[in-house]
Amino acid sequence: MKIKFLYIFLFMVPGILLYTMFVAYSFGYSLSLSFFSWPGVGPKIFVGFQNYKDALVGIYSTEFFRALSHNVYFFALVTLLELGLGFLLALALATQLRGYHVFQTIVFMPNIISLVMVGFIWGMLLNPQIGLINEFLRSVRLGGLARGWLGDSDIVLTVIILVNVWRNVGFYILILLAAILNIPPEFFEAAYIDGATNLKITWHIVLPLVKPTFQTLTILLFIWSFNVFDLVYALEGVQAGPFRSTDVLGTLFYRTAFGGLGSARLDLGLGATVASLIFVIVFPVSILYVYFVERKS
Amino acid sequence: MFKLRPFSKGLIYLILIIYSIGVFIPFLTLGLNSFKSLREIFLTPFSLPSYFRIENYAATWKQANLLIAYINSFTISIVSIFGILLTSSMIAYILARYDFPFRRILYLYIISGLVLPARLAIIPIYLLLRDLALLDTRIGLILVYIATGIPFSVFILKHFMEAVPVEIEDSARIDGASPWKIYSLIILPLCRPALVVVGIFNFVAIWNDFFFPLILINSRSKETIPLAISVFFGEYANQWHLLSTALWMATFPALLMFAILSKQFISGMTQGAIK
Repeated sequence: MKIKFLYIFLFMVPGILLYTMFVAYSFGYSLSLSFFSWPGVGPKIFVGFQNYKDALVGIYSTEFFRALSHNVYFFALVTLLELGLGFLLALALATQLRGYHVFQTIVFMPNIISLVMVGFIWGMLLNPQIGLINEFLRSVRLGGLARGWLGDSDIVLTVIILVNVWRNVGFYILILLAAILNIPPEFFEAAYIDGATNLKITWHIVLPLVKPTFQTLTILLFIWSFNVFDLVYALEGVQAGPFRSTDVLGTLFYRTAFGGLGSARLDLGLGATVASLIFVIVFPVSILYVYFVERKS
Repeated sequence: MFKLRPFSKGLIYLILIIYSIGVFIPFLTLGLNSFKSLREIFLTPFSLPSYFRIENYAATWKQANLLIAYINSFTISIVSIFGILLTSSMIAYILARYDFPFRRILYLYIISGLVLPARLAIIPIYLLLRDLALLDTRIGLILVYIATGIPFSVFILKHFMEAVPVEIEDSARIDGASPWKIYSLIILPLCRPALVVVGIFNFVAIWNDFFFPLILINSRSKETIPLAISVFFGEYANQWHLLSTALWMATFPALLMFAILSKQFISGMTQGAIK
């Protein structure tokens, strides 16, 4: 179809301009900034790959790789729990028993609450003095298990992951449920006629058919796991205590770029380097995601 | 679909009910704590409040700056959504309908934003807003939300528009309607389902966003709800009754809204993320 160039221009300019400024240009600028040392004011000093050296093999490598390993742990555990639990509950809902719409609404409920606020809510529940979790354990005579959930560096990262699961699993349940309900009912009927059990049907029919959904969700989980910030901020602050045991790349990035007490060196260049490194990790997987969704549509 | 014996059915109900209790307990605790005194929260954590302390609400509403935060969150979310829908649908319409040089490249340029986590560009965004004197302003935050919402929204809307038959537009074009008329009077109404999905998806994301306000907003008069709550938690540490009340006032309206419009919310948020 033909259209005057003027129209194309007028329709596209507002969006393209904003996108170029705040996304495309900002990204490029952030990448280039990673080769400079700059406290935010005054002249930028070109340092080549020095920031990358500092982060990967130099003085910041301990901090960087500790945070990175926490992101990896986060991704692994969150994927296992959210997809595993999500699939089981999706199966339960896929029976479409009476009232399943109500359950659908309930399981999704925590998802609409902001992650920071979920963090604060659970911070109260896990509090050693007033927290219901410890009170509950004591009331069922399991007081020995009560502890300072957010102060014990051995378990705190796992606790934060569990809070994340509580908040997000509803999303995975509903996506997987939609995938299961997409399976033609004839498949089930034929299998029942052949005498298959529900377990067999789940294993041989349902699981293979929802596999593509699992793939897409795993990719999303990967991208999101390297963007974790809000929950750690709400529960442990940007210092990611105790002793950095909950530090993730997001909080490390925040400290290097915007400070927060105790950061050894406040440097926008080094901050941009951390951002670039996160991007390098997430980018290949993101490409895969775009490929998957484009293939579907 | 699955066929079940009565026993398995009962078991599944049991699982679902236990799970639902697990979802409700944190909210319920919060709601009850919001009516208790600090002493009661410490001493009788499981029981109902001795009487419902409305005064917690009066105290917190002011001190937590919630009225202003609500107004800000509403304004920022609504204006951003409006901006996203307008800019994205215009771009999507041109890309879906018209051929011109560099069309494909332009599309890829915008879509590549899908793989750029906007948070990672926060340093330049901060500097850019500082240079434009838009740091610590609602407008600055809105511009950032519109810009970061565009790639995803263009992606969804373009695919939807491509499925709308061209013939509908042809007769209008023969009658001499301008592209703007065709876009605003024919295409937009036809795209309502996709606009709703994109709108809800972005609304929830913006309403709940914490990262951008944390870095781009300083004044209390401009803070959004998540930021206001976070500031309040810093100021009133250990005042658990007031903290509960603030959190409850920040979450309860959202829960209520969701209970009423759960269908729209669920389809918007799940379709939005996976498509």
